[in-house]
Amino acid sequence: MTRKNKKRLQKGFSIVYCCLIYLFLFLPITVIVTNSFNATTSKPYMTWKGFSTDWYGKLFDNTALLESFGNTMFIAIVSTLLATAIGTLAAVGMYKYKFKGKSVIDALLYIPVVIPEIVLGISLLTLFSNTNIPRGTLTLVLAHTTFSIPFVVFNIRARLSGYDKSIEEASMDLGAGRVKTFFNITLPVLAPGIFGGAVLAFTLSIDDVIISYFTNGQTKTFPLKVMESIKSGVSPDINALSALILIGTIIFVVITQSGVLSRNK
Amino acid sequence: MKKIIALFTAAAMTLSFTGCGGGTSGETGTGGTASVGETLNLFVWTEYVPQSVIDDFTKETGIKVNVSTYSSNEDMLAKVKAESEGAFDIIQPSDYMVEQCINQGIVQEIDLSKIPNFSNIAESYKKPSYDPEGKYSVPYLGGVGGIAVNKKRITDEITSYADLFKPDYAGQLVVLDDFRPVIGIASESLGYDLNETDPKKLADVKEQVMKLKNNIKLYDSDSPKSALIAGECNLGFCWSAEIALANAENPDIEIVFPDEGAFLFLDNWCITSGSKNIEAAHKFIDYMCRPEVMQKVLEEFPYLCPNKAAVELMGEEYTSNPAKNPPAEVIEKGNYNTNLDNDTIAIYDEIWTELKK
Amino acid sequence: MTKQKFKSNTLPSLVMIGPVVLWLAFFIVIPLLYVAVMSFCGIDEQYNIVFRFTADNYKRLFNANYVQIYAQSLTIAALTTIICIVLAYPFSFFIARTLSKKKAILYMLVIIPFWTNSLIRIYGWRTFLGTNGWLNNRLLDFGLISSPIDFLFKPSATVLGMVYSLFPYMVLPLYTAIEKLDKSLLEASADLGAKGVSTFFRIILPLTASGIFSGSIMVFIPSLGYFFVSDILGGGNSDIIGNLIERQFQSGNNWPLGAALSMVLIIITLLLVKLYQKCGGDMESLGV
Repeated sequence: MTRKNKKRLQKGFSIVYCCLIYLFLFLPITVIVTNSFNATTSKPYMTWKGFSTDWYGKLFDNTALLESFGNTMFIAIVSTLLATAIGTLAAVGMYKYKFKGKSVIDALLYIPVVIPEIVLGISLLTLFSNTNIPRGTLTLVLAHTTFSIPFVVFNIRARLSGYDKSIEEASMDLGAGRVKTFFNITLPVLAPGIFGGAVLAFTLSIDDVIISYFTNGQTKTFPLKVMESIKSGVSPDINALSALILIGTIIFVVITQSGVLSRNK
Repeated sequence: MKKIIALFTAAAMTLSFTGCGGGTSGETGTGGTASVGETLNLFVWTEYVPQSVIDDFTKETGIKVNVSTYSSNEDMLAKVKAESEGAFDIIQPSDYMVEQCINQGIVQEIDLSKIPNFSNIAESYKKPSYDPEGKYSVPYLGGVGGIAVNKKRITDEITSYADLFKPDYAGQLVVLDDFRPVIGIASESLGYDLNETDPKKLADVKEQVMKLKNNIKLYDSDSPKSALIAGECNLGFCWSAEIALANAENPDIEIVFPDEGAFLFLDNWCITSGSKNIEAAHKFIDYMCRPEVMQKVLEEFPYLCPNKAAVELMGEEYTSNPAKNPPAEVIEKGNYNTNLDNDTIAIYDEIWTELKK
Repeated sequence: MTKQKFKSNTLPSLVMIGPVVLWLAFFIVIPLLYVAVMSFCGIDEQYNIVFRFTADNYKRLFNANYVQIYAQSLTIAALTTIICIVLAYPFSFFIARTLSKKKAILYMLVIIPFWTNSLIRIYGWRTFLGTNGWLNNRLLDFGLISSPIDFLFKPSATVLGMVYSLFPYMVLPLYTAIEKLDKSLLEASADLGAKGVSTFFRIILPLTASGIFSGSIMVFIPSLGYFFVSDILGGGNSDIIGNLIERQFQSGNNWPLGAALSMVLIIITLLLVKLYQKCGGDMESLGV
């Protein structure tokens, strides 16, 4: 009886605790969504002037904002593809072959993971500035690829620890060439790891502020556009775009997740 | 762990979907104008050039305008120097920074024959001391670093910069996040020069600046009006037009011109020496000198305007509002920043770091 | 045969390792070396970098003001880490211990807010906590306070923003470590008469220590550099090392000094990582 009560109390406590944490995590989101419906039209958009959905329409007239969003997506996609290609080759190569300096590569891969982003940001800035590479979309892609590669490598490596080398040998014994074996055997086995790494790279890229801030030149990504707007007061259309991105995310997570769950059954 | 990856996966798919939508709309947005081919890269102060005015320029000329913004002259200089040549076509340095830019060779001569609307600028603003021959700069807007007072919350009479340093106003102040003006007014409040260079006097200035530490709640150069309107701060040291705009939202917030003589600034259009769109840059500057364009600017950002013809278009409401159009005697009594040598800058930097730590 | 195999491995290994080596050399090694070199340079009257050896920048680093900012930054980082551990530990424990189907949803709910841009979420806090913000207005409405509370523009606001931004980085490793706990072990401990508290300190905590360590590294180090958090919520009153560096590369116009400050950050990072490894921390768990 008492033990059961104690258990129930514990459960109640844990539910309340978790709810409070979720409240903490979602609180700013509520503010963002609420502000996207603010009817205010005057800077700095701070006072609540009634409910309106106007900003959702105006959002599609704000070409600069949409362009920045397009830039973010373009940079994220290109840098993810690059990082995934380089990272996959590296992870497999480092797993398969023994060579001098492997531990050096390993240590270098940890640098972007542990070092504060600002250090990577300013060091890339000095590189680009010194070599006279004009800052812009290109440098953003280079920078984002740089910090993404390690995450791809590590994700694949986690997958490789359970990888059986003998299937590759079997494939080669059966007369398939190296390239063919890589594409037909190695890649499919590693696919989930590669995909996981790519997703992580994509996530990091779309939300990156600090490294982009130092390497962007004229190109504005969505986070940098937000940074700029914070200076003068975030207009509700930025909130509206953020809310749309969020809703889109949730819908797709729910759809794919229910797909995963039903398949599991 | 696999679950986590699955979650990431799902979310990633979402984003790539929304991404496609955003990407295409972005491209169509620029597609139309890009075909004309010319793009002008502007580097201007935040909250200074209305987007509507820029859009009108693009509509009229087909020249696409790319705007980046900065919050202090030093930020601008750092970025222009860090970028490759020609990354920016037009910049907007203040008085002393124009001189610095000329000395550094990062701006080029402006061909005034291509700017017929230059005639709208008042004579007194042509050939200023920082650009004695008037070859490199065309004045845009200026103003005063005034004191903003919320008269309802602050009942004492505030008349000078020195008043801001009184311990009574702990946690009440919003000031510009800009070391030259802030250290400058601390120096003026002691009766020293706005551009003090004497290390002995600067030691006093440092002490004075530290008195401000406890009073400052927020540093904001971009939109100090926000904190004033929100009631976050009741006193401020900020750009005059910001005070005018705060006053429009909350009439209790008023401007005070300091007894010591106000800190003044005048911002200018300059063309960078690396610009590859010199024709378009001249076109833009000429456009920005048109009275009716400046009228639009002033309606959104009511600063002191050197464009005589534009001021004539503005009503009584603008000309008689001291925050929008500071009185002539204030301007006469005020001081501008001048360039300092490296050693002095190092002292300023140290004072600033100590203040902001 | 073996010799032939060895020979033929050279090309494929070059193809696979070559790109990453080149990439890391160009975009990690060279830039960092350049920063290290630059930290010993000076600037001229025009703010240009002058390549002439000087230790002046390092001398300036020991300026009392800077030292106080390092201390402030380290304090903010430490507080952030501790608060994250305290908040995230029970939380991760609860989610890791729920049924597997619900677990996925609960975990997803942690991730979802982070799909919204981080800056705008920080700004959301500013709107919420402002003098005229939602929280103060409700408190005033209910008569709980008579005048608005100043939440913003002080170090505590910066800590809040850091905790908020870095919270998932603490949850992830803790969750992984707790999930690995063997349930039967806990039951055995309870059966042997151990009280909840002693089970926790003697069994659970040591077994999940690795999660706490890697979580701490992933929270502590970034919070030395997230200058935008202290900009937006600290209002410029609670600068961290990141702000110092950013300022020298922007309005300060003194890249060599900024580079020297970056070296401080690099050294702190290296020391912490060494400490982490000494405590038995696994580098792998930082990456994924």
